[in-house]
Amino acid sequence: MDSLIQFVQQDLGNPGLAALLSNPSFAFIQLMNSFSQAMNLFIIAAGLSLIFGVLRVINFAHGAFYMFGAYIVYSVAQEWTGNFWLGVAAAGLGLAVMAVVIERGLFQYIYDKEHLMQLLLTFAVVLILSDVAKIIWGTDQYSVSYPASMKGAVDLGVTFYPTYRLFLIVVGPAIAIGLWLFTERTRFGRLTRAATQDREMLSALGVNVPIIYTGVFILGSVLAGIGGGLAAPFNSPTPGMDATIIVDCFVIVIVGGLGSIWGSFIGAIIYGLVFNYGSVIVPNWQDVFPFLILLAVLLVRPWGLFGKPEGGNA
Amino acid sequence: MRRSLLAATAAAAVLAAGAAQADEIRIGVLYPIAGTGAVYGEPAMHGHNMAVDELNAAGGILGKKIVSFARDTKLKPAAASAAAKELITKDGVNVLVGGLSSAVGLAISEVARQEGVVYVATIPKTIKLTTEKRHDHVFRTASHTDFEGDAMGQIVAKLGLKKICDIQLDYAYGHDLAAGIEKGLKRHAPDAEKVLDLRVKLGATDYNAFISQIMGAGCDGVTSGLWGSHFVNFAQQGSPFGLFNQIKYISGGEIASHEIAGKMKGDYPDNVWSNTYELWYHHHDPSHVAFQEALAERSGTKETAMWPVLAYIGVKFIAAAAEKAGSMDADALAGALKGMSISTPVGPRTIDPETHQADTGQFWGPMVKKEGVDYRVMDPVTFIPAVIEE
Repeated sequence: MDSLIQFVQQDLGNPGLAALLSNPSFAFIQLMNSFSQAMNLFIIAAGLSLIFGVLRVINFAHGAFYMFGAYIVYSVAQEWTGNFWLGVAAAGLGLAVMAVVIERGLFQYIYDKEHLMQLLLTFAVVLILSDVAKIIWGTDQYSVSYPASMKGAVDLGVTFYPTYRLFLIVVGPAIAIGLWLFTERTRFGRLTRAATQDREMLSALGVNVPIIYTGVFILGSVLAGIGGGLAAPFNSPTPGMDATIIVDCFVIVIVGGLGSIWGSFIGAIIYGLVFNYGSVIVPNWQDVFPFLILLAVLLVRPWGLFGKPEGGNA
Repeated sequence: MRRSLLAATAAAAVLAAGAAQADEIRIGVLYPIAGTGAVYGEPAMHGHNMAVDELNAAGGILGKKIVSFARDTKLKPAAASAAAKELITKDGVNVLVGGLSSAVGLAISEVARQEGVVYVATIPKTIKLTTEKRHDHVFRTASHTDFEGDAMGQIVAKLGLKKICDIQLDYAYGHDLAAGIEKGLKRHAPDAEKVLDLRVKLGATDYNAFISQIMGAGCDGVTSGLWGSHFVNFAQQGSPFGLFNQIKYISGGEIASHEIAGKMKGDYPDNVWSNTYELWYHHHDPSHVAFQEALAERSGTKETAMWPVLAYIGVKFIAAAAEKAGSMDADALAGALKGMSISTPVGPRTIDPETHQADTGQFWGPMVKKEGVDYRVMDPVTFIPAVIEE
């Protein structure tokens, strides 16, 4: 082992990889970093994927929803109440209201239109929302404190790890299981799955399909809002944060398969691992890696790891 | 009918603009006004407009009224260079001022070179702007990465740090600052050893992978130039790991400015030494008191931002040079800017006739808690002049 580390350090000239090999607790921390980053991204990406799966709309404004979630947490938690969890709840609630307005007022008219029309409309919403955010919150970069109970770190035996990050690692899978139970085990969930299969037949059977659509759009948007709210303590709410996150989310949902919850889950973990180990081992290529995974998946399995090929009964 | 009316109106507007041009001075202003960069661009515009209003109230430049044409650079070199070209060809500006981000500054400077128009760079700090990329018509009133790196070297020496980790943004400013720090360390702290070099992409939001590397490398000092929300995110992610208890964080990028400290409040970490061009609560020069009061009125807050003074100084240099040259002709203006001295709210400034660089020093110091306020302040404040002693 020692000779291997020496080889990596001196012959390959890769101090990052050598540090990973020689320091197990460092390697472990990067694993935890991968998971906590992945779980935050998963919550947001799952909303995007869910909306696409049922509504067949690629919602570019999803990143703006995330940004609103972060800003709402800032206002409610930092400015008004001092309670972080109240802020996250308000972010979810706020996004639910926004989702109803946007879905009923705009998106319901474009479900039958071609994809280009849908893209243009959701992109218009991005531009409008970023200006609205600027009018409400201005252009400052804000900082949101960690919830009081999660400011510190926990001793994991091998190393200390921030409590809040551990909380994210737990909350991600909990949301994944919740979403899975919801779509598989509830009546509403069964109806949403039916709506993705054949919504005309569902409508002929007397089911109110528009309500299902609105419901799914709310759920997906609330996930973006909560994801943004949970990210606020380590991602300063600031103009432009919507553009960064939407790219990451697209990579994740395309790798995982559009419309698949578990696909987004695995996609997010792959993203987290590649980003965190990639930035240590090949730091100069950190920007390229997410897109390399994307490229590889698109070449081998264009419909994503957990997706279904188009043209079945979509 | 409607179309021809529209055309006629447009033509009239163009003619009117042409007629007006003769008796007004047109300044092309380039800051990021919308989007991510607006957090800097908006306050910069306050400073710019304040200088223009003051000058106009006193009769303008050469007896002519000053009119500003502001364009959004969107923090992108390509957008900035297109905007700069438009300002020159469409709006017929006499001079360009502004620029935020080193990459944007280099892009505007290139347009200024091609078009033969004077550009006064108020914010970009890459050393290249006044060394290998310098040309007849570019002048800088901002500080630069060699001054900044040298000051950081002095602080490393003063604190007696021995093992340094460096983390920088992966673009012109970060690379040049890393080089500036390297030189600063050699001059002032020759026994300090650089043990880790990290590069983070511009706009990055996740720093955990880098934070664990820094903590694993066993350095006692971190040098950095992560600015704005980059620093906020880095600090928020590093604090729970205990990063700021383990190291001293010496940073360029003006994270000691009040817009960062005032927003982060209690979350601003311990052990940070950083810089700023101006502090609303520190009167280095007596004229700062009146400047700060006027700015406070204009920005609607007593705790004013740092960026306005940079934009303000840029305009004042242009005005002084135009008066000296007696014309807005590019070559005459450039000639007058060489060696030009003016007094500013943060002390006197002189542009070096050889390098076209102003001797812009900065305030440096530790960011400490202060009784009675919920944000950190710099204390003690030390003015490190723009002098590099070999």
